[in-house]
Amino acid sequence: FFTSLSKDFSVLLDHSDDYNVIIRVGDEKNEKTFQAHSVILRARSPYFKRALSNDWARKEDGSTVFTKPNVSPAVFEIILKYIYSGTIDLNNQDPSHILELLIASDELLLQELFNHVQDYLL
Amino acid sequence: MSSRKQPKGKIRPPKKPNSADAQFNDNWDRLAQAIREIHKKNASILSFEELYRNAYNMVLHKNGDKLYNGVREVITQHLEEVAVSQVVPAFPLSGASSSQTNPNGAGGANFLKVLKTVWEDHTTCMLMIRDILMYMDRVYAKTANVPLVYDLGLDLFRDTIVRSQNYPIQNHLLEVLLQQIKLERENEIIDRTNVKASIDMLLELTDASTKDTVYATDFENKFLETSSEYYRVEGQMLVGEYDAPEYMKKVDKRLNEEEQRVRHYLSQTTEPKIRNIVEEELISKHLKTVIEMENSGLIPMLRNEKMDDLGRMYKLFGRVVKGHDEMKSAISDYIRELGKAINETVTSNTTAEGGNAASGDKQTGATVAVRWVQEVLDLKDKFDKVQNLALSNDKAFQTSFNEAFEYFINKNSKSPEFISLFIDDNLKKGLKGKTEEEVDSVLDKTITLFRFIGEKDVFERYYKQHLAKRLLLGRSVSDDAERGMIGKLKVECGYQFTTKLEGMFNDMRISSDTMTDFKEYLDKSVLEKPKLDLSVTVLTSTFWPMNLSASPRCNLPPELTKACGTFQNFYLGRHSGRRLTWQSNMGTADIRGSFKARKHELNVSTYQMVILLMFNDKQDGESLSYEQIKGESDIPEADLKRNLQSLACAKYKILVKEPKGKEINPGDQFNFNNDFTAPLQRIKIQTVASKVESEGERKETREKVEEARKHQTEAAIVRIMKDRKTMEHNLLIAEVVKQLQSRFMPNPALIKKRIEALIEREYLERATGDRRVYNYLA
Repeated sequence: FFTSLSKDFSVLLDHSDDYNVIIRVGDEKNEKTFQAHSVILRARSPYFKRALSNDWARKEDGSTVFTKPNVSPAVFEIILKYIYSGTIDLNNQDPSHILELLIASDELLLQELFNHVQDYLL
Repeated sequence: MSSRKQPKGKIRPPKKPNSADAQFNDNWDRLAQAIREIHKKNASILSFEELYRNAYNMVLHKNGDKLYNGVREVITQHLEEVAVSQVVPAFPLSGASSSQTNPNGAGGANFLKVLKTVWEDHTTCMLMIRDILMYMDRVYAKTANVPLVYDLGLDLFRDTIVRSQNYPIQNHLLEVLLQQIKLERENEIIDRTNVKASIDMLLELTDASTKDTVYATDFENKFLETSSEYYRVEGQMLVGEYDAPEYMKKVDKRLNEEEQRVRHYLSQTTEPKIRNIVEEELISKHLKTVIEMENSGLIPMLRNEKMDDLGRMYKLFGRVVKGHDEMKSAISDYIRELGKAINETVTSNTTAEGGNAASGDKQTGATVAVRWVQEVLDLKDKFDKVQNLALSNDKAFQTSFNEAFEYFINKNSKSPEFISLFIDDNLKKGLKGKTEEEVDSVLDKTITLFRFIGEKDVFERYYKQHLAKRLLLGRSVSDDAERGMIGKLKVECGYQFTTKLEGMFNDMRISSDTMTDFKEYLDKSVLEKPKLDLSVTVLTSTFWPMNLSASPRCNLPPELTKACGTFQNFYLGRHSGRRLTWQSNMGTADIRGSFKARKHELNVSTYQMVILLMFNDKQDGESLSYEQIKGESDIPEADLKRNLQSLACAKYKILVKEPKGKEINPGDQFNFNNDFTAPLQRIKIQTVASKVESEGERKETREKVEEARKHQTEAAIVRIMKDRKTMEHNLLIAEVVKQLQSRFMPNPALIKKRIEALIEREYLERATGDRRVYNYLA
């Protein structure tokens, strides 16, 4: 059943009417806004678990706004997809993205992803 | 260094990465500032992402140790400030240990409240600091083998606040806690939440060297010591002021309170320890005192059947090692004492009656026995009730009670006889007022007493005698009840014990069949019919307790002798090879007597019949002397006296004795009492009823029992040796005792004598070489 679970969650990431987190990614030149679900982010990543906790969450119009300037939108998209569906395809990626992905997954404490990317690079 | 020196919340331009150090300093300043803001509860202006990224970068650039130490420093500083500005001002007034007055209690409570706030603030802050330093925890702390930052915070709190070197916070904290507990023990209301907060705090802190909680290292021992002292004093006070039930209620309450206290605001690990202390100080140390309290201790409770108090004592004392033992031995001693008293009333009664025992007051003997058994049964009932209601049917207590009963029952050498007499009484009287079920339940209880008897063979002998009389004189209530009783004995002692008893019943049954056949035989026969109805009971001599081997002397009237002859012919014709001896001392007869007023049917013993028939040949007013009667009837002297007594000195005076008196003496003259009147047509002349034996009879019974024991012992020895062929002396003795103890306790000297007797008769021999070993000779 994992396949359908993963597929359904990918759909949830792309089409949803109950997003409650807005994530602004990238620096001024290359910024992109993503929408996501707090509950999923927090469940999947210890980093987001803390970042989106009551102590730290900053809300605007009912949604939590989170800014992540040191990750590029392309890489963050891969991360979000991984967080939601548990899938990743490194073969069709720009090699520079892959390195950046390794660094980002370390900062965001996505241990599983970090290990995977590391293995891929070796 | 104070936080005020730092520019606050200032956003700096991005640094050029020219110098890693500069980069670090910049990052660190921001983080330190953020931590201060967190301490000031200003976290809402901070960005998690930024602070986390700062810490992440520092760790990434190998500055984890600097970061870690910096954090330690900032937190320590903060806590030092907290100590000065919040904790120290909240110290309760000096002399907190003298907890008499309320202000102290209130001051203490306030101190705890402040600590609670300080602790809560600290932990809240530490959680947020932990959040932003998560990368440091994961990457640096792990490799550098230092505590995670949250734990670091706890350690800093421990060293800076709880165990501050600068301020006596620890003393105050411990004193206030103990004082609060003391206040609560003295029924004051305290704010448990504050106490609980401090205790929880101590439980969360770890002692570095023992790895135990600070609660355990700093608080628990002090708490236990204080409690020990408190309850030591209280125990002495209570024991002096209250009676046993009140004392136990207080102890119960204390135990409850301490348990509640632990549950509400101490650590569960303390529960067994404080329980032990209360148990030791309030129970163990005062066990004997409470048990022996003069008007309220264990014995008065038993006397007044205070089941609740007894139950409470059982439960409380069961908590400590010696508790139940002390109770058990005190109760057992009490049972022994009561038992001794019962025994003594009986002996004093019998000796008091010794003088007139022969005076025809036949009931008294049996009454004493019945009363003794009844009193023992009542005592047993009482302690069964105690056992049931107050002692949770504790097996150990039961055993000890049983031993006490066994002890005093066997102290009374007459107990086997008494118990048998009691059963006799019930099986005879049964119908008078008691239903069969009631009789049965009484007999069931009696069996429990029977169990206590050591000399079961003595009981058996008495039981046989009493049963024989019941059967032959037709005194039993019912066959069912008799058989029920034998069934019970069989359950207790096995088949062997009851075969003879059952044999007696068999004889009775067969005899009644034989009599039917005999009547038919008479109807059919051409012989002259006897002038009287003869009813014969044929007894197998080995089953019955009397000596049946020879006929006692007695000259029977010719009619009877003839009838006996007819029966004898009939019987021997059917069973050849048997020998009949007539036991005229055990028979009864129905005779019709004509008195002046009316005719009466008299039910008398055979001997009495013989005596009365002598007067048939005499004229009115003609008397017979004792010597004449004796000579003519040839009845043995003791029996003759007893029977004459029944006829002339008892309730129905069929004969008139001259001179009057209760005793029969040589030279007495007897007259037929023509003027005799009685309201009933049918009169039963009481023969001597079963009663407690006289000393002489007792001696005889004793001798018979001893004789039987010799045989049983020899039989046991032979049985064992036949099986083992060869055996060492002590082992043989042990085995014999084992086999016989269900009937009686054989003493080794007796066994030794029997062994020697068997050697003499060449059943056994001593082994050559080892005189302590015996061989069996086939």
